[in-house]
Amino acid sequence: MNAEYFFTGSSSHLVDLVARLLPPQEREVVQGDLLEGGESAWQSLLAVVGLVIRREAALWRNWRPWLAAFGLALPSSFLLMGFSLSVSRAYQQLVGAPILHATGVIVGPGFALFLCNVLLLAAWSWTGGYVVGSVSRRTVWVSAALSFAPCLFCLERFRVESLSRLCLLLFLPVALWGARRGFQIARIKRSSAIALAIAVTALTIPTWSSGGAWIPNWALSWPAWFLVATARRT
Amino acid sequence: MLGEFEYLLITTAARLGNEAYGAVIREELGAATGRKCSIGALYTTIDRLETKGLLKTWMGEATPQRGGRAKRMVRVTPKGVQAAKDFYDAIARVSRGVSWAANRTRVPS
Repeated sequence: MNAEYFFTGSSSHLVDLVARLLPPQEREVVQGDLLEGGESAWQSLLAVVGLVIRREAALWRNWRPWLAAFGLALPSSFLLMGFSLSVSRAYQQLVGAPILHATGVIVGPGFALFLCNVLLLAAWSWTGGYVVGSVSRRTVWVSAALSFAPCLFCLERFRVESLSRLCLLLFLPVALWGARRGFQIARIKRSSAIALAIAVTALTIPTWSSGGAWIPNWALSWPAWFLVATARRT
Repeated sequence: MLGEFEYLLITTAARLGNEAYGAVIREELGAATGRKCSIGALYTTIDRLETKGLLKTWMGEATPQRGGRAKRMVRVTPKGVQAAKDFYDAIARVSRGVSWAANRTRVPS
């Protein structure tokens, strides 16, 4: 099998597909080298796969992808699903409360706490997603897989009659938005980061008095302070 | 100190001079060592050496032979030359007196 065949045959599509995992400039150089070297399709495929594996492995020599995937994406996914469920139940109780039926208006401390929890869920989801996106960079697909795996696991085992399974995933759209922003802009402005961290911490205060668990609170709040620590000065 | 493959790569690139780029270096390395050099090993090592300041690379011209794709040209920096010289000196020193290095007058083809 000669080089000409390699780039005209159907197997070249497979090599092209795998080569897409490389940065554009490197892809061009490697494909040019393979063509010049007259490699067979099989040899070319092995060469490109080998380079892709080496490139991916090199990314994991740094602590950042490990932190993002196993220190944040995986545990936060479980905790945020639990919190999404808690918020959904609180909403269900508020909607079903007699006061609502009587007046048509939701008022009182229950509603204030519910509102705090909704904002907290959004803030935790966004900051967590942002940190995952900004820290993971090119390993973001592993972090995404480790976030979705618990979701699939819990969706499969969800057995609450009165609530939809989707209640577990309330955090997901905001977290994805945060991850996208984090991937695009690795660091945010320090003033914005401080405001966000203070808001997140302030929103957790009502949950302390209502028996909110400390460890999950801090496990979900640290990304906000991580953003402060790594923020841009200007 | 350089690794064995790093030394081979720098020396090959230095010998090729202005004609040093991925495909040719790979071919030369294969011919010199009798082992085929993988593209993965080649480019990850080039990247590492460039990060250390021992090599400089840039995108070269595209040729029809390569299907109109550009080359990644390689040049050894003065720091790279020094690192290769240090490695060679260390090998020469440590090989002094050993049977396979004694009275060696010519390089095998």
